[in-house]
Amino acid sequence: MKYRLLGILALGLLGSLGMAQKTLVFGSNGEPASLESGNITDGISIYAQRQIYDTLVDFKPGSTDPQAGLAVSWFASPDGKTWTFRLRQGVKFHDGTDFDASAVVFNVNRWWDPKDPTRISGGSNYEIWGELFGGYKGDKGSFLAGVSAVDKYTVRFTFNSPVPYFPVAIGSGYFGIASPAAIKAAGAKYGTAAGGAVGTGPFKFKEWRPGDRLILEKNTNFWKTGLPKSDGVVFRFIKDPAARLAELKAGSIDFTTDIPPANLKDLQNDRNLRAVFRPSFNVGYLALNPSYKPLSDVRVRQAIAMAINKKEIVKAFWGDLGVTNGHFMPSSFKTYYSPKVTDYEYNPAKAKQMLAEAGYPNGFDLEFWYMPVSRPYFPTPKEIAEAMGADLSAIGIRVKFQTKDWATYLNDRRNPPGFQAYMLGWTGDYGDPSNFFDPHFASPITDLFDSAGNKLDIKELNEVLAKGAASSNQAERVKLYQQADEITFNLALRIPIVHSQPLIAQRTSISGWVPSPLGSESFEDIVKR
Amino acid sequence: MWSYAGRRLLSVIPVLFGISLLVFIFLHLIPGDPAVVMLGERAGPERIAELRSKLGLERPLWEQYLLFVGNLLRGDLGTSIFNQLTINEQLARRWPATFELAIAATLFAVVIGIPFGILAAVRKNTLLDNLATSFSLLGVSLPVFWLGLLLVYLFAVNLQWLPAGGRLSIDVDAVFKPITGFYVLDGLFQPQSFWDVVRHLILPAMTLGTIPLAILTRITRGAMLEVLTQDYVRTARAKGQTERLVIWRHALKNALLPVVTIIGLQFGTLLGGAILTETIFSWPGIGSWIYEGILNRDYPVVQGGVIFVALVFVVVNLVVDLSYALLDPRIQYR
Repeated sequence: MKYRLLGILALGLLGSLGMAQKTLVFGSNGEPASLESGNITDGISIYAQRQIYDTLVDFKPGSTDPQAGLAVSWFASPDGKTWTFRLRQGVKFHDGTDFDASAVVFNVNRWWDPKDPTRISGGSNYEIWGELFGGYKGDKGSFLAGVSAVDKYTVRFTFNSPVPYFPVAIGSGYFGIASPAAIKAAGAKYGTAAGGAVGTGPFKFKEWRPGDRLILEKNTNFWKTGLPKSDGVVFRFIKDPAARLAELKAGSIDFTTDIPPANLKDLQNDRNLRAVFRPSFNVGYLALNPSYKPLSDVRVRQAIAMAINKKEIVKAFWGDLGVTNGHFMPSSFKTYYSPKVTDYEYNPAKAKQMLAEAGYPNGFDLEFWYMPVSRPYFPTPKEIAEAMGADLSAIGIRVKFQTKDWATYLNDRRNPPGFQAYMLGWTGDYGDPSNFFDPHFASPITDLFDSAGNKLDIKELNEVLAKGAASSNQAERVKLYQQADEITFNLALRIPIVHSQPLIAQRTSISGWVPSPLGSESFEDIVKR
Repeated sequence: MWSYAGRRLLSVIPVLFGISLLVFIFLHLIPGDPAVVMLGERAGPERIAELRSKLGLERPLWEQYLLFVGNLLRGDLGTSIFNQLTINEQLARRWPATFELAIAATLFAVVIGIPFGILAAVRKNTLLDNLATSFSLLGVSLPVFWLGLLLVYLFAVNLQWLPAGGRLSIDVDAVFKPITGFYVLDGLFQPQSFWDVVRHLILPAMTLGTIPLAILTRITRGAMLEVLTQDYVRTARAKGQTERLVIWRHALKNALLPVVTIIGLQFGTLLGGAILTETIFSWPGIGSWIYEGILNRDYPVVQGGVIFVALVFVVVNLVVDLSYALLDPRIQYR
């Protein structure tokens, strides 16, 4: 009897091992907020959704260059106000329904139209559509004027003004195309643990255990022949980086993201692990608020940019994982870099002299806010702040460090007169310079103020940005964004400190993982030995 | 005794209301709100205002509280702002995980701590006593996070004896069928998974149980030392009873009252205080859930979670009080 029990036990274990041999285990740095596309903004949700959904436009592996996704081709009208997408035929959603133009129109209307009856009430607010496309249906600023199905496999978007970057923006991970039938059937539960999610992507939703894991299984009818290469993916929610690294070393997860740069050596010394570098697509910056009198003088802001030894700071905190170059955009946008911009030289003596010329020979007091949370662009904000503070004290600026919890930090920087100086950053959504410049410099700037407490409005810069966002002529766009690069550099309102390469890691037993600069990529090509 | 238990249970009601009010006030005193956390660094003020009004955060506080209490009276703890799951549903999923872990940790503490404490008392001022006292001091002072990671690196990464986190291995998880949510119990009906469940429980239980273990050792030692000097112990010895009988029947039984009190209190604390252990071992329990809720300003999660833990705490303490009567016949409840 005892042996029989042992036999059953062994067989059970072996059987289950064999069955799940090719299931990938991903150490997710948190839990998705929702699996409903278009209704999330966090990277964790996008990562999970990328496996379930496809977008109209995809990106070449490891780059921000667009390629065919659910749309096989797209073109703009001569006036740039219409974009037409030809859709892939024969694609089915995981629930067996057809993917076609009506499904695209259905999804876009939910994101764009606040009165759409299939929208889910409560929770998030489909805010990403409004953020990226000027507002919603009925709003004065809405870029989109209408969306319609021309025929079963052609969709047309009409805009109030030209939106040259629309294909790359609609290709971003927020906008996976979901099954209309599934949304109607699940109602308010769609995208939650109770309702699941249905797309056309490489993996199908199986189960979501809150606080624990998300289980996806292979889509055997995936439209890309021969993919995905694994039987499924389990997203295990392991928020703590130290715990995640330990699990990776122990082999209970196969790959993970968001590893602190300080662990690079540790990864390189472990023969079972491989450090992977995600191409940089972010900026960590120090914002200087002109509402505070000394900082209203551009010479003072430039002196600060000159006093901070950015190269040394990046070397100390990011090692090979960071670059500082004076540009607000990461190097994926090199085309748009102005040749006239070379970073401020590190020169404390000259900086001190500039402060004296501006009327501050003895320096001044400065409240310096650092983030209370770690982000890929600032993995250890406090220590980085202290390093910058030491450089500033060398030219006589007396730094007082401040922080608040994350929610309050984000909120209070927008309350006039705002923080005097603060650290923050940005990770891009799609491969267009407007996505870096507009949220930070287009008028009105919501987190920098003038001396009267009004939101900052830099007319010259705003005009350049508006022209750049509307132009369909690539040569003209390059010129305009180079101009914006130059203006923002000279203004020194947000001093770019770093473009970091987020450190991610895998076990050597998996191959085929090509990280995207956009922050999420499909796991369809990953194989586990 | 039953009428006493009934009265104690009734007294829970005002306690819970007091707690609900306190939690509500404290939560709303913390600056920042869920709308800002949800939208992150990218959102503009208009979007934040829109979401605030959608979430009902613009309503006066007293109105929000009354709404919460009204729902509470109907047994509805609300819905998470973040993932749209009902609090009742999430509690149902998570409490077995935390309970299982707390029970395992308590067992670990009791099974080792009490004999350790007895030995230390019986062999007072010997090397053994000194060792026990030093270890218990060390146990109380070790940071849980550090200890947890240390155990993971030793037993999971280097020796590869035990898993690093989670409640089940991926392969076993694929075939395991949760029935009660208590995986050890469920594992009894699925023998091929049982050992995997137990293996996953060992390191978190050791991490969570170390502080109670240290406390129990000290309390048991102290209580035993006091009892061992009593007249009836001397009498028992004088009557020629064996040392084993004197210690286990005469001394220990009488020393158990403070020990049981501490076990009860510790168990209650473990339920809500397993945050760090749950974080290190990705244990899907209540502690990490409430903690996330606080960070996200997910008011319903924190309110529901704290009220649940408070309720359990009160019940556990009631059980401890009632157990006194079993341990000491002189104690009677009317």
